[in-house]
Amino acid sequence: MNLRNIQTVRMIMLVGLAAASLTLMAGCSNNGTAGKPTAKKAAKPAAIWPLAVQDPAKNETGAQIWSENCLRCHQLRSPSQYTPAQWGVIVQYMRLKAGLTGEQARKVLAFLKSASAH
Amino acid sequence: MRKRITLPILLAAAMAATAVGSVRAADSSNYQQLQKKYSTLKVQMQAMQKQMAQMQKQMAAQQKQMKAVQQAAPSINERATRRAIKRLSRQVMKLSEKEAALEPGNIQVLIAGDVNVQFQNKSGGNSTFYADSSPMIQVRIDKNIFVNTAFDFYTASGQAGGSAADIGAANINYELGDYMTVGGGLITSPIGGIVGNYNPAPWNRWLVDGSLEDNLLPPNELGIWTRGGIPAPGNLGYLTYFLFVSNGPEFIGTSGVPNQLSYDNFTATQNAKTVGGRISYLPIPNVEIGYSAEWASPTQSGALTKSDSWIQAVDFNSYYFNKKIEGFVKFRGGWTWEQVGQGGITPGNPTTPPALGNMSNGGQIDVAYQPSMCGIKYLDKMMVAFRYDRTDGPVTGVQTPGAMHEQRYSVGLDYWLHSNAVLKFEYEFDNVPDQHGSDAMFMQFAVGI
Repeated sequence: MNLRNIQTVRMIMLVGLAAASLTLMAGCSNNGTAGKPTAKKAAKPAAIWPLAVQDPAKNETGAQIWSENCLRCHQLRSPSQYTPAQWGVIVQYMRLKAGLTGEQARKVLAFLKSASAH
Repeated sequence: MRKRITLPILLAAAMAATAVGSVRAADSSNYQQLQKKYSTLKVQMQAMQKQMAQMQKQMAAQQKQMKAVQQAAPSINERATRRAIKRLSRQVMKLSEKEAALEPGNIQVLIAGDVNVQFQNKSGGNSTFYADSSPMIQVRIDKNIFVNTAFDFYTASGQAGGSAADIGAANINYELGDYMTVGGGLITSPIGGIVGNYNPAPWNRWLVDGSLEDNLLPPNELGIWTRGGIPAPGNLGYLTYFLFVSNGPEFIGTSGVPNQLSYDNFTATQNAKTVGGRISYLPIPNVEIGYSAEWASPTQSGALTKSDSWIQAVDFNSYYFNKKIEGFVKFRGGWTWEQVGQGGITPGNPTTPPALGNMSNGGQIDVAYQPSMCGIKYLDKMMVAFRYDRTDGPVTGVQTPGAMHEQRYSVGLDYWLHSNAVLKFEYEFDNVPDQHGSDAMFMQFAVGI
């Protein structure tokens, strides 16, 4: 293995390490998808990692998150354009593209599903 | 005679005087009593006044308390109602997830993508029609696993049969939590932000032609990544991140004179890898500021050693939506610096490396305005767009930094038939020093599926 390869491997290891740290952070701060939220659990993330603060999206409506974030990159698509099931796929994809948090994505999906059904 | 008269008078006067004196004595004692009574009453009145003042104070305090209680009562109810609604919506969400998981055929598949038809006329070249169809197959395996595959079929001159096909995306993503997703495969590169987020889909571009900055940015990455969004500390907006390791780029060009980097290196020639990522900050939802960088060790097939390349980019994206301007105005911009280092990549002759120590840079500023709230038929669906973009780079084969310079001013008029269907017209003023430039006119009909 030459010097360049060693450097590449080191770089990969560093990125892997950073990813692992972030994974732990996300695991610790997951308050939306795993388990019942208890007072003990809610207090834990803030103590471990300062970024694990309450998601401000908790105080916003799905319609608000949808209108404010989607218009940043494209024209707003009418909720009636897709079925609730199709919105499930689209929101999962857009969560990745726009860097939405789980809480934001869930709220937007709930809004689009209910608006689409009516 | 006088004596007889004087005596009775004197007697009478004495009696009268005595009588007056007794009356005066009686009056003064009454007065004193009255004065005593008055002073007693006055004291009593003052005490009562004090009591009354105290009572008024108490009344005012009680009224304040009453008001506070009256005001607090509905907010307590509101809070309780809000909590109850939140609890209920959480339960509904959980139940609907359970229901969806139990439903037969819970793997959801969506065919999306875009199609566009275009006419372009560049000065000094042939005018031509062009067509492109980019279907995407998106699959939601469950709430955590998402698969995306994208193809690109397009007409192209010089290709066999006049058409070409490409793969734009093939990736699997797994949501690890609210703030992180990990994935692997082929994905649009996040470097530069603008290409990754807005430019790939023609229906989502304000102008038909891509910017000069796009030429400096890698279109795709084939590797593994982690990405997501997290609340910024102190609830001051959000941060997003996208970190990756992918196959490194490859030098292409004539043998011994490599002059371009190709990022479609699907075989990782000589074990070359790229490490990079993008982070962005959103202080408010309609403003995003991003920084991205990637380091790679490009090589050429058959070469003995590698070089290195370094790309950095900044980008911003924002919009302002208000009735005062009868609609919205959007701003986007970015700048990219790309540097390729010295490298002995000549096969069999590492002592005479080609002069690759060069740097390219370029950027763009885009503005668009749509009076979507003006209430005037047709006008509310129109969007005017303007772009200034430029690039400075080495000339092919000469490798002199900044030898090539190009800048353009583009104006466009879009008519949105639908939120995902648009007719576009664009004119591009192109300025290449020492050349005639190649102004161009474009028309396009683009639809997002």
